[in-house]
Amino acid sequence: MKDYQLAWRNLWRNRRRTLITAASVFFAVFFALVMRSFQLGTYEKMYRDVIESYTGYLQLQHTDYIDESSLDNGFIIDPELISMIEGDPNVTAVIPKLESFALAAAGSRTQGVMVIGMDPENEMKGLNIINRLVRYRLTPEAVEALKAESLPDRTGKLLDVFVNESFTDEASLISILGIGRPDTSDVLPLFRKHAAFKNGYLTSADSGYAVIGNGLSEYLHAGVGDTIVLMGQGYHGATAAGLYIIKGIVLMPQPEIDNRFVYLTLDDARYLYAAPGMATSAIISVRDTKEGDINMTRNRLGQITGDGLAIRTWKEMNALLLNQMEADNKSGAIMIGILYLVIAFGVFGTVLMMMAERRREFGMLVSIGMQKGKLAKVISMEMFLVGFLGVAAGVAGSLPIVFLGYARPLRFTGEMAKMYEDYGFDPVMPMLLPDTYYLWQVVIVLLILLIAITFSVRKIFKMNVINAVRA
Amino acid sequence: MITSIAWKNVWRNRTRSLTVIAAVTVGVFAGVFAMAAINSSIVQRIDAAVNEELSHIQINHKEFRSSSDLKNVIPEPERVISVLQNIPEVTHIAERIIVRGIASTSAGSTGVEVTGINVEGEEEMFTLKTRLIPGTGSYFGSETRLNSAFIGEKLAKELYIIRYILTEESLGTLKESGVPSSVVEKLKPLEDQRFTTEKKLTEALAGLLSAREAKEYGMMIREAAWSYREGSRIILTFLDADDNQTGAAFRICGIFRTNNDLFEAMSVFVPENELRRLTGLGEGEYHRIIARLADNDLTDRVTPEVKEALPGLEVMHWKEIQTDLAMIADYMNQIYGIFMALILAALAFGIVNTMLMSVLERTRELGMLSAIGMNRRRVFTMIMLESIFLSVVGGFAGMLVSGVVIAITGHTGINLVKYSEGMEAFGYSAHLYPTIGADFFIMLTVLIVITGILSAVYPARKALQLNPVEALRGE
Repeated sequence: MKDYQLAWRNLWRNRRRTLITAASVFFAVFFALVMRSFQLGTYEKMYRDVIESYTGYLQLQHTDYIDESSLDNGFIIDPELISMIEGDPNVTAVIPKLESFALAAAGSRTQGVMVIGMDPENEMKGLNIINRLVRYRLTPEAVEALKAESLPDRTGKLLDVFVNESFTDEASLISILGIGRPDTSDVLPLFRKHAAFKNGYLTSADSGYAVIGNGLSEYLHAGVGDTIVLMGQGYHGATAAGLYIIKGIVLMPQPEIDNRFVYLTLDDARYLYAAPGMATSAIISVRDTKEGDINMTRNRLGQITGDGLAIRTWKEMNALLLNQMEADNKSGAIMIGILYLVIAFGVFGTVLMMMAERRREFGMLVSIGMQKGKLAKVISMEMFLVGFLGVAAGVAGSLPIVFLGYARPLRFTGEMAKMYEDYGFDPVMPMLLPDTYYLWQVVIVLLILLIAITFSVRKIFKMNVINAVRA
Repeated sequence: MITSIAWKNVWRNRTRSLTVIAAVTVGVFAGVFAMAAINSSIVQRIDAAVNEELSHIQINHKEFRSSSDLKNVIPEPERVISVLQNIPEVTHIAERIIVRGIASTSAGSTGVEVTGINVEGEEEMFTLKTRLIPGTGSYFGSETRLNSAFIGEKLAKELYIIRYILTEESLGTLKESGVPSSVVEKLKPLEDQRFTTEKKLTEALAGLLSAREAKEYGMMIREAAWSYREGSRIILTFLDADDNQTGAAFRICGIFRTNNDLFEAMSVFVPENELRRLTGLGEGEYHRIIARLADNDLTDRVTPEVKEALPGLEVMHWKEIQTDLAMIADYMNQIYGIFMALILAALAFGIVNTMLMSVLERTRELGMLSAIGMNRRRVFTMIMLESIFLSVVGGFAGMLVSGVVIAITGHTGINLVKYSEGMEAFGYSAHLYPTIGADFFIMLTVLIVITGILSAVYPARKALQLNPVEALRGE
């Protein structure tokens, strides 16, 4: 009989113990994977939102801009360099952007804002701000009108909770208002009729128009069609001031951006800040967005940018966000570490018991001629198989959940969603597809097994056969 | 009787029982300690939010927070104050003017919230003054009371009022504080050079020191090089009550350091009369009245009282203002409970395994006990008690150890500054003083007993299924 056959049969001699031990490993692996997937998925969504609506994956900047993000560290856009960058195989678009600080005022309300100037048609090639336009708003009038229609009970009640709330897409409207799938086709037209929000977006030909964040719009009490005043400091200390009509309202990710977002056309922003032909950065959008591809593209572009300019990755530009997520990530890792510590103890305890219980059997085997080495090999295989069983079950059990959670992210509905939004969080919990974090769980379980195996192998080699047989 | 038999049974196989007990001890200890560490950073954050940033209760004009319109002043502030004074739990009250504007120096500009405070009247309540960085001045020092501003370190950095210079003196301090002279020697070329940002200094250090040295001493070197341009001025610009742009130069009288970068970067405190003069607000006009309570736990009880007494105004407690923190504060006990339950569930597997083994190896004995008349309920109780003993002994040992460790580290503190840059940007301190409430231990004890009971169910059922006759015949 082969060693592995022996090990396999041994396992099923005490079926309960094998299954309980494997179950404990399964429990840890399963929980760790699902938890990690939620945690990493949330970070990933947060990063992607900021990248796709604000920073892009790569930017061309003045070398000092990252430390001192002021207009004075801007640069003149050189069309030749832009077309060279556009020539890179992984680059899909280059979007010059002028960004600076200003004070926005509407009536007697004022707020410090980030003014962003980009060419709208060019911007659409790389960012997706247009997808963030507010499409539906539950104004008090809209709520009244909707209540007069026949709505599912739950949705009708929730309307009061979400009064004055804005939505960018039908998916979140459906989930947050708890509209069941069968009702969707009946109810959605009602919302389209009563709650649709008249909104517009900038075009390249526009002059004197702005698109602003939803938070800023609420703060300034300024809606579509209203005028805002922007005041600030232009290039080299020039005074900057201008009047702009609000053309559209967007719901940006992260309140810090949403409350301060003002989008003008590039020409308007250049005129406002007295910075003709300039940009503070150029967003470079790329085709392949894996970390390795980004870095390779960065390195390739770095060689053609020339003195005084640098290519920055989204990680460099969002260092603060990354740091925050990293701190949060560590607390999650510590919790999983503790979980595995406990499991390791459980596995170790089982091994200890098993060794004590089978002492006589081992003594007998050795005394009838089995080499200790072979015995140790069989025992190691047994343990490895138990661990593997647990890991395999954990991975297999988590996969459907992770794939489902990725394809159809968990969305909170109704009061729960309201609570999340009030607390300042997106009521969506996306998951991350299997990645290196899956591998880590396997490595950790292997380490635990390695310790248990080392212990039992040592025990076998130190075993006194005569005492063992007598036990 | 059953209890003492069960207790003795636990110790019949010492090694096996001790292994499980040790597992429970370690699991409970690790869980409790991690919870205490996380809890401490939340408690410290709440403390800072309440004492330094928001206060317990804020009263504003109904429209003020949603628009920060200068004209939205509180009507009849005297009435608000008398209402607050009549509530015994309120210990401090302060009136404030708040204006949004731009702070700028020749090197940079950024948006800020300028708060006008009553310098003498608020002195006792203004806890931020204890956060003053030594050497940067004082809480509205003596000579120029007018036109002085108290600002955060982050803002000072953004406006380039803080820079980094390694002077001969700071190199000396480094040597004294235990940095090897070989490292200090390597820093010589940087002497008297100016670095406008922390990052530039770090880059310069990376060129001179080995990675290990930079990691080990970088923090100390940055602290030593930190320097402040004395008598710096900033220009504050904002709209006055007639919507005209106005502003003035303010001299920095002190810089404070908190754990909250966002708050530091936004806040400028100036004397109220100066701000009143600049904005053209009338005497006795205020945007916000803040109240401090004797204890944070009173917040939820006192706020409704104030709300009722002041119907036309916006009365908010800190939880309503800082909602993300409130969520953490409100749900932390549940989160800790869930996590401890998860750990205990993992431990339960070990207990089940042990108990099952202990039952199966006692087949004959259990058969004998039933044969001589011990009824099934007693057998069940005995197994159950054995399992509970395992979890409770381990659990108490774990709680005891964690209690001691929390007491020690709660006193000395744990410094995570080296490992976590992100925490402070979010307002969470990286100096942890682990602490956890007594109610957590009560909840934990209940959970531990439940774990013991649940993990006994399967083994005890196995014991009950034994047929006395067959059990006696076995082996």
